[in-house]
Formats: sequence, structure tokens, C-alpha cells
Amino acid sequence: MEAVLTRHLDPTAPLGLPAYQANGGYRSLTAAFDLKPEALIKIVEDANLRGRGGAGFPCGLKWRLRGTDAPRPRYLICNLDESEPGTFKDRHLLYGGPHQIIEAIIVSAYALQAERSIIFVRGEYAKGGNSLSRAIKEAETAGLIGSNIGGSGFDLQIEVHISGGRYICGEETAQINAIEGRRPNPRPKIPRPSVKGLWGQPTTSNNVETLVNVPHILLNGADWFRNLGVNGGCGSKLFCVSGKVQHPGLFELPIGTTARELIFEHAGGLAKGRDLLGFIPGGASTAFLLPKHLDVPMDFDPIAKAGSRFGTGCIIVFDDVTCPLQATLNLIRFFARESCGFCTPCRDGLPYLAQILTTIAAGQGQANDLSLLEELCAMIGPQSFCAFAPGAVMPLVSSLQCFREHYERHITTGHCPFDTVNKKGA
Amino acid sequence: MLGIIRIDGHEIPFEPGDNLLKVALAADVDIPYFCYHAALGSVGACRLCAVEIMSDDPDKVPRVAMACLEPASDGLEVSVSAPAAQQVRQRVIEFLMINHPHDCPICDEGGECHLQEMTVACGPAYRRYQGHKRTFTNQNLGPLVHHEMNRCITCYRCTRFYQDYALGDDLGAMRLRNEVYFGRFQDGPLESPFAGNLVEICPTGVFTDAIFRQHFTRVWDLKTASSICPHCSVGCNILPGARDGTLRRVRHRPHPEINRWFICDRGRYGHQYSEHTARPLTPRVAGATITYRKALIAATEQIKAAGDRIGGLGSIREDLEGNALLRALLNNLNGIFSAFNDPELEAATITAVNRIQNSDGTPSLTEMEQVDAALILGDLTAHAPMIDLALRQAYRRGAQLTVLHNGPTPLTQFAVTTLPVPPHEMGAYLSRLHERITASPASKDVQDESTAEIAERLAAARRPLLIGVVETLAASEIIALAQLATALGTDARLAYALPGANAYGAALLTLASRKTTTILEAIETGQIQTLIVAGTDPLGDTRLGSRWRAACQRLNTLIVLDCIATTTTAAADILFPVAAWAERGGTFVNYEGRAQGFAPAFKRLELLPSTAEVIADLVQCLDLYLPDAPAVLSEAFPGYQAPVPGSAGSLMPVHPLPTHIDTATRSDHEHHHKHWQAALTTWYGDEELASFAPALMKLAPTATALISPAAALNANIEEGAQVKLRGPVGTMTLPVQLDNRVADGTVALTRMALVQLGVGHGDLLELEPVS
Ligand SMILES: Cc1cc2nc3c(=O)[nH]c(=O)nc-3n(C[C@H](O)[C@H](O)[C@H](O)COP(=O)(O)O)c2cc1C
Ligand code: SF4
Ligand code: SF4
Ligand code: SF4
Ligand code: FES
Repeated sequence: MEAVLTRHLDPTAPLGLPAYQANGGYRSLTAAFDLKPEALIKIVEDANLRGRGGAGFPCGLKWRLRGTDAPRPRYLICNLDESEPGTFKDRHLLYGGPHQIIEAIIVSAYALQAERSIIFVRGEYAKGGNSLSRAIKEAETAGLIGSNIGGSGFDLQIEVHISGGRYICGEETAQINAIEGRRPNPRPKIPRPSVKGLWGQPTTSNNVETLVNVPHILLNGADWFRNLGVNGGCGSKLFCVSGKVQHPGLFELPIGTTARELIFEHAGGLAKGRDLLGFIPGGASTAFLLPKHLDVPMDFDPIAKAGSRFGTGCIIVFDDVTCPLQATLNLIRFFARESCGFCTPCRDGLPYLAQILTTIAAGQGQANDLSLLEELCAMIGPQSFCAFAPGAVMPLVSSLQCFREHYERHITTGHCPFDTVNKKGA
Repeated sequence: MLGIIRIDGHEIPFEPGDNLLKVALAADVDIPYFCYHAALGSVGACRLCAVEIMSDDPDKVPRVAMACLEPASDGLEVSVSAPAAQQVRQRVIEFLMINHPHDCPICDEGGECHLQEMTVACGPAYRRYQGHKRTFTNQNLGPLVHHEMNRCITCYRCTRFYQDYALGDDLGAMRLRNEVYFGRFQDGPLESPFAGNLVEICPTGVFTDAIFRQHFTRVWDLKTASSICPHCSVGCNILPGARDGTLRRVRHRPHPEINRWFICDRGRYGHQYSEHTARPLTPRVAGATITYRKALIAATEQIKAAGDRIGGLGSIREDLEGNALLRALLNNLNGIFSAFNDPELEAATITAVNRIQNSDGTPSLTEMEQVDAALILGDLTAHAPMIDLALRQAYRRGAQLTVLHNGPTPLTQFAVTTLPVPPHEMGAYLSRLHERITASPASKDVQDESTAEIAERLAAARRPLLIGVVETLAASEIIALAQLATALGTDARLAYALPGANAYGAALLTLASRKTTTILEAIETGQIQTLIVAGTDPLGDTRLGSRWRAACQRLNTLIVLDCIATTTTAAADILFPVAAWAERGGTFVNYEGRAQGFAPAFKRLELLPSTAEVIADLVQCLDLYLPDAPAVLSEAFPGYQAPVPGSAGSLMPVHPLPTHIDTATRSDHEHHHKHWQAALTTWYGDEELASFAPALMKLAPTATALISPAAALNANIEEGAQVKLRGPVGTMTLPVQLDNRVADGTVALTRMALVQLGVGHGDLLELEPVS
């Protein structure tokens, strides 16, 4: 497949406005303004573009459900908070070329008839956020943003909000609180942000990768986009592979590409002599998969069927000398640290899990610790306030299933089985 | 009523929009909870209110949901006792107890701790968690509220009350994960006048009553009784708690139309006056302590000797019974009675009560929360703190507030328009506003934009409120405010913050105005020989204190009944210390005209009768016949029935009152360039009784002369410069503080400063820089 999203991206020398335009940039604006907003939404729906922020909600459907009669002002939030461990795809979009993002936002905001858009940029990406702000200025000066863009009668203002920097700020309602200057605790599910979001107005949130697909879909058509995928998938996808591989990195490939191809062809496979223990397919908040899942297409439904989540589509690879308990503990510690502190199960339950795992890792586990972990996870996930905690316990729940004998050996032998493996290997 | 839900078999009706928890609690069906609070709503943070909800589809498994977030819908089957729901609650408690210090034996919350109750009711009996506990550092939050963060269960009630409800900004949630910290950015006294409510709103021992703590007892040992706050005219319902003959603390008692779940810090901490070391506890005659009987005999002799040359001053903080009996005694002796010691305050209060009685009824606090616009005259925070809190709720709902003020007042933060008006110009301003509201569109002049804006805002409101602080308004301005209400039509509501817990009752009993002047003049001309003063301090008055002091020199006998040490008790020839409010029963009539009874919570070891009891004893010694207080009251107010303590109270029957317009008082002063108008600037702790509460007084603002930056520029005075103030009685030097909330040509001063200078609110004084 020819690169679509990454074609003109170059983090070392991102294209400025003239060069971007010379390469066909901003052409989708004319195409969009020639269409009625509803027609544009229809094309996105037909393309079956699913959200790239983790949940995979169909983008066109989300836009249509917002409704054409939503009260004004309406907002579009571009989620560029990317804090999921193992995920660095949005960073590439940001540093590789800001104008692609701006173009995508203009076209998407036009489809939604939103007059103001905020790009929420992860705190650690501040440098990229600042270049993005400069690019917005450039586009404003060129009349690509502002009032009556290109004589279309459509007005749009775009701003960059650089995050104070916490994982939970990526959750859309916590993000809305953050933009409003409040504590980034998630909001209740009802009313939905599409009804009452940012400053009480109808608000649509999309991941930046979701949005950058829109201009390409518009210029090339829904069928073209659907055909980009393989194994039943639709579109192109930015995959990341990290962990115990020879060439970790970012690869734009058809959605539906298998993990086997990603890990062994594109990321160079594991180090010599190492076997694959398992992998996490979609960022830290998804369940472990095993070598037997290597041929499952990397797409929302097939991965869900395999018992995990496609998430951000960013794989973390574990080899056979990595202790899965230590690796899971590492993830649980991360989530315990990033809990926003709003609801009890997540705030106080995750550190409890971390404490039990720490004890087992130190060789002081008790026989019933594993069932205790399972009992606690079974409550923490479903009874929490937002989707953070269900995601947080996923790797642990699956790791307990996939690698149970390793956990048990920690308890029965009183030390980590991988310590000896590693020492022997050294 | 929309339908019925069933909770474990109980059928419970509900109102549309209610959630399951609210519905259950209203029907006295227990669902455990932490973070929900009727005033603060549902947020779904604690996850303790888990219940099981049956599916319509019998093949589907029931789901566990949070009762506080689940809307009630007809026919819903809910189970609190289902094992799945119980499991969730048990885990929640287990999680919350992970870091809890388990220090119940030394925790002030013990015995009334929501966490303790829920843990016993829902939680596991043994802990499984084996790791370390997290430890926080506590903060010094000032003299009123004690802080112990380790007990926190992160229910967010404190910030939701402090920030969202009471609109304070110096306490909040900080940090994240299991390290969320509720406190101030740095140590320091809490700034909100409602901070003490943290003690009650916090379901654990994080925020506890710092005063109660100084003389602690377990709450189950406290003697309590339904009572009414004696510190202002709002009449909040409270629950004093005492042990071993001393008053230990005050909490709120819910009244559905007044204070509901809260009280202000003056009401919560002002009670320290009754335990003040200077409080008079033994009767005194001619400076010597004496038994109660002997004091009665001495007083009887003097009253007999005086014949009809006798006067009596009741009080706006004295209960209805004490005032009524004193008046009855004076009537019997052909003496003169007034419940006021300042003619201007008398005129203003009687006028306000008259206007309220002639209106369709003054709004309750809960009604005030519903107004969509308000015109506020004066500093409600200082004179009726809980009205301020009610208007903050109106503001949160979108009400537009306009504040006309002479000096700083906290409500200006929430107002769309704030206008500093010098005391002398308030009347004129109100007539301009009246003209503007009543004028035909064509005749409206476009010059005065802010007046036009205020007028239009009030006229456009569906339910505007007009409210004034009586202590800082002249009678004519009180009438002008009522006229504005009339001009705005029948939907406009009128209210006045009156100057004392029983000012309304005092006004009804004073009946004809100018009584105070009559008494004062009669003393000055020797027509009154003996004066009985009950629960007031004329000799310490701001404007007239020196005149009263001089006049009282001419008296044969000054008989004083009070429970605090004042200038007047110090000058008393015969002093009867009386019971403070928590030690006696009585009735206060609040700003609405609602009579509310209060019951004694305890008796002190000393013999301390109530004012009414002292007067009844005097009546007996004088060999007079007088009916008892209830009989006197039902004679004075046909249809009156003493309200039962703990009830919602009853409106006083409408009573004819004269309208008193004393135009001579304010405007006739000549303006002189050195003359400034004095404005009383106070804070929520400033009240006669509460000023004897040491902890509260630690928060009193320092005395400065507040003037506006413009006036300062004009007079060539700089911030911090010393100025000399000269009033009719004395002089004082104060540092200047610039504040743009002070009106032009006005110097805002504390009550203490006014007393020392001998000026009242609106009086003129001289101000010059000290070189
Ligand atoms: C705890 C949590 C963290 C999240 N972080 C991100 C994030 O960093 N970036 C992102 O795009 N979406 C994130 N999401 C998903 C967003 O809430 C939201 O679903 C997404 O922005 C919608 O965009 P999409 O439909 O285009 O995927 C997160 C969700 C949760 C529950
Ligand atoms: S699940 Fe975690 S992140 Fe989500 S609201 Fe609860 S504490 Fe916050
Ligand atoms: S301090 Fe009290 S009210 Fe505040 S969150 Fe903690 S337990 Fe709740
Ligand atoms: S508002 Fe008045 S009555 Fe209510 S608690 Fe405060 S001082 Fe007492
Ligand atoms: S009361 Fe329902 S979650 Fe706290």
C-alpha cells in the first residue's frame, strides 16, 4: 500500500504552508465546500472510518448523531493527548507536518458546522504544539482559517491547548474539564458531550488520526478508503510496534494487517534466539494476546473476538525472558499513578493490586493472592466511573489467564523464575 | 407523582427526574452512600450506593448500578440487599479503609461518623490489605476548623460545598490518584463565612470543629435541644450541645424553608460568648456581688421609689417573652418602654416591619434561591450571612445581582453591577431608579446608563428580589425600596435584613415610634429616675453611646439584665446576669415575621434565670399582678400561639404599625470639605454576642480607614498613610486602606471605631492626614 497519511510527513523538516500546498495540500477544502455538510458526513459514514483514539466508534455515525439542529456554538475537539504507553502515532502526525492536521480539522468542522475547534496536545508534545500554533497562524494569514473561508460562508477558529499533562486528560469528558480550566475528572455519561459538552455546548471529540483520514476520504472517495484495508478492514492505519523487537517503529499499513507481519516483517522480529511470549495489541490498556493470535487481523472486531481490544493499534512485544508478572506490575503501577482519583475502585483499588503484585514479585506471595487479584479486578473494572479502570485491569486479568503458571511459580518457589533465566543467559 | 419503584418489595412513589437514592432516602429506605448530598447532588464518585436493578427481560441478568446516578422510572425493580450489590459495597469500604488510620478512639468524629456507620453496616470485618498506608501532612486552617487529612475517603463533598455551593476559592482538591488532597494552597485560615459547614458536610473526621475540640466530649454525652440561632434575624435552626453545665458546640438543625443543611460561621462559633470568662454570672448591687434574692429586693425598692418615673429598654436580641413582660411591667407602672436604644434604628426597623406586613409576605431563604434578579442594598454577608448564601445559589442558577453599597461587601464578587453609593445619596439614587422604572419609554433620559441598566434588568426579571440591610439604611430609604418593589409589580419580592435575632418582635412590641427619643429625653430632663435595661447596651452605642452615658449619670438607678459584659452592665447599679439563649427557652421572630420557639439545652451550675423569669420575680416582689409571658403575648397579638421548639414556626399575626419617616436624621448636615461620611463596614463575625467569641474574633479584619482610590487622590492621601479621624466624641488615628468598593466621600470604619468616634452609619466626621 502506498502511504496515505504519512506520505508528506517528515519530523526533521515538516512542510510549511507553500510546500504543503504545492504537494496538493488544502485541496480538500474546495471539495468539501462544494458539498453540503450532510453529504460529507455521508461519505465518511460510507467509508466506515472508525475512531483511532481507542474505542473504534464509527466516526460518521458519531457526527450524524450530533444532529444538524444542535444549538450553536458547536465545538470540535481534536484529541492529540496520546498518553497510552506504547503509542506514538499521533506524535508522528504532529511533528511530521502540522498542516495535514489543520486541513483535516477545517474539513471535519465544516461537516459538523462547528465554529470553533480546539486541538488538545499532550504536555510532553509542547514543542510540536507550538509549531502547530505557528502553522495555524500561517493558515489564518492565508485565509484558510477565519471567517468566510474561501468564500464558503463557513467560519472557523482553531486553537491549541497544551495539556497540563496527565493520562486521564485524554478521556474526552476529562479533557473538556481540562480545557474549561477545571480538574480533569471525567464527567457523567449523561448528558453526552454531543448534547452538552465544552462550556455546555454540543461538542464532538475525535482522535487526530481519525480526523486526518477525512480529507483523503473526501478526495478519493469512500470506496477507495474501504479498499485500502485488508482482511475485511477499511482504511489505512498508523501502527506502532515497540518492546522486544529489533526495529521498533511506526508503520503505515492497511488496517487488518496481521500482528505477525507487523512484528516479524516490519519491526524486524525478536532478537536472535528469543521467542515470543505474548503481545499487547492496542496500547497498555488492552489484554495480552499469545503467539497463537499472531495471524488475527489487526482490526477492531477480529482483535475483540480474540479477547483483547484493538485500541490504538500499537503493539508491545514481550519475549520469553521477560517476566510477565513484572511487565504487568509495571503497567498496573502506571495506571495506579495515572488514576484521576475520582472514584473509589480505581483510585484505591489499583494501588491495592500493585501492592499485591509487588509482594508476589518479591517472592512473598500467598496461595490465595491470585484469586484475590481476580476478585478485585472483577469489581474494579465494571464498577468504576469511567473507562480508565476497565482498561487498566485488562492487562492484569489477561496476564493472569495467559501466564498463570509463571505467577504460581513466583508464589510456590518464592522468587521470580525469570531471574534465573536471565542470569543463565547473561 | 409519576410512578412507583419497588425497592426490595417496598413500593415507593417518585417525582420525575429523581434518582433512586433520593427517592429511597425520602421514603426512609436506607441505601448506603457517601458522596451524595441533598444540597450537592449526585456525582457517582464513591460507588457505595450500588444496587441491583432487574431487567425487564426475565432472561437477562440483573445489573449493578449506582443508585445516585440512576433515574427512577415506573415499575423499576431495585434491590439493595442483593448479594452482588452487597459485594460491591463491601469492596468499596475495603478500598476506602486501605489508607484510613483507624484512629476512631481519638477521632472527634467518633459517634457521628458516617464512615464508621457505613463500615459497620457494609464493610468486611477484617482488613486484607497488607501494605503501607499513605500519610498526609495536615494544614492549619485557622481557628475554626481542624484538619486531619489521613481520614479522608475522597468523596469530594468538601470542595463541592466550599467551591461549587458556597463559591469559596481558597479550599479545593489537589493532586490525583490515591493522593488527592483537600485543603488550601498553603496553610492559613479558611476565608469563607460558611467554612464551618465543612465540619458537618465531611462524612469523616477530616474537618472537625476546632472549638469543640478545645473542650471535647463524646457527642453521645451532649445534651441538645431544638434551638434558634441568636446571632441575626435570619433565624437559622440549630442544635446546641452541652455537657457538665457548659455549652460545647452548635450544629445546624434542618429547616426546610430557612437554613436547610447549613449555618454560617457566626452562628456556629458565636456561641463562645456564653462561655466567655468575662460573662457576668452573679448579681451585683452597687458593685458588690450579692445573692439573687437580695438583688431582687434592692431592685424592688428602687422601682417602688421611682413610681411612674421609670423607663425600660428591651432589645432586638432579647426574646419575645422577655421584651413582652418588660413592656407589660412598664405599662403597669405607667412607665415608658422601647426595645431600641437608637431612634434611627428604631425608625428603620419599625418601618421595615411595617413594609413587610403590608407586602404579600417576604420570601424565605429557599424562595430567595429561586429569584432571577436581586437588588441588594448593603452588606448582607455581615448582617444576614445565610441570606448571602441563598443569593449565591440564585447566582449559580443565573440570577443577576446588583449591589448598591457604601463599603466592601463580599456579594459584589457575584454581581453584574456594583455601585458604591455614599450613605447620604442612597435615597436620591433609589428615587432615580424609581423614576426610571415608572417613566414612560419616551421620557427616559439616556444620560444615566448604569441606572437605566439596573432598572431594565429589574423590570425584565420574572421574580426580582429587593433586599436591604436595615442597620445601614434610613427609614426613608427603606420606604423607597418598598416603593421600588411596588413599581415592579406583584412578582417582585421584598425583604429586609433586620438588626437582631428578634428585631421583628421588638418592633411589634415598640409599636409607636420615637419611643427611644422619648425615653432618652425623659432621662435627660430627670423625668425618669430608674431605667431597666434588658439585653442591650445603650451606653456602648455607636452614635448615641456618649449621650446615653451622660443621661444615665442623672438616673437614680440603672437596673441591667444581660448575659454579656457590656458598657451598660459595667455601669449598672443593679445587675441581673441572665441565662444565655441555649440555657433558656423563648421565642425569636425572624426577618420574615416567623416566630420560632427555642428550648433550653442545659442549665449552668449558677442560678441564671431568663429575662422573663427575672421580670416575673420582680412583679411578684412588687406585689403586682401580671399574667405570664404567653398570656401577655396573646393579649398583645390576638391569635398568637407560642411556636413549639422544633416546629417550622408560625407567622406573627399582622399588627398595625406606624410608618415612621424620620427625614431629619440624615440629609440636613452641612457639607464641609473636611467632612466625610462614615460608613459601617463589618464582617460576618461582627455582632454584639458573637464579638465575645474569641476564636471568631481572631479572624476580625484589622481596623483601617477604608476610602476609595479616587477620594484618596482628591484628598492627596496615599495607601497606608495615617489619618486622624475626628468625631463628636473622640478622635483616633488609623492607617488608610484604598478600596474601590467604598463610595466617594465616604470612609468605611469598623463598629469599634464608630463607637470610639461617637458616630453612626452615615454621620459626618473629619478626616485629615497626619503629617
Ligand atoms: C482513560 C482514557 C484515556 C484516553 N486517552 C485518549 C488519548 O490520549 N487520545 C485519544 O485520542 N483518545 C483517548 N481516549 C478516547 C477518548 O475518550 C475518545 O473516545 C476519543 O478521543 C474519540 O475519538 P475517536 O472516536 O476519533 O477515536 C481515552 C479514553 C479513556 C477512557
Ligand atoms: S475510573 Fe479512575 S480515572 Fe476514571 S473516574 Fe474513576 S478514578 Fe478517575
Ligand atoms: S475531606 Fe471529608 S468531605 Fe472532603 S473528600 Fe475527604 S472525606 Fe470527603
Ligand atoms: S445567618 Fe444568622 S441566624 Fe443563620 S446561623 Fe448565621 S447568624 Fe445565625
Ligand atoms: S453516593 Fe452514589 S456513588 Fe457516591
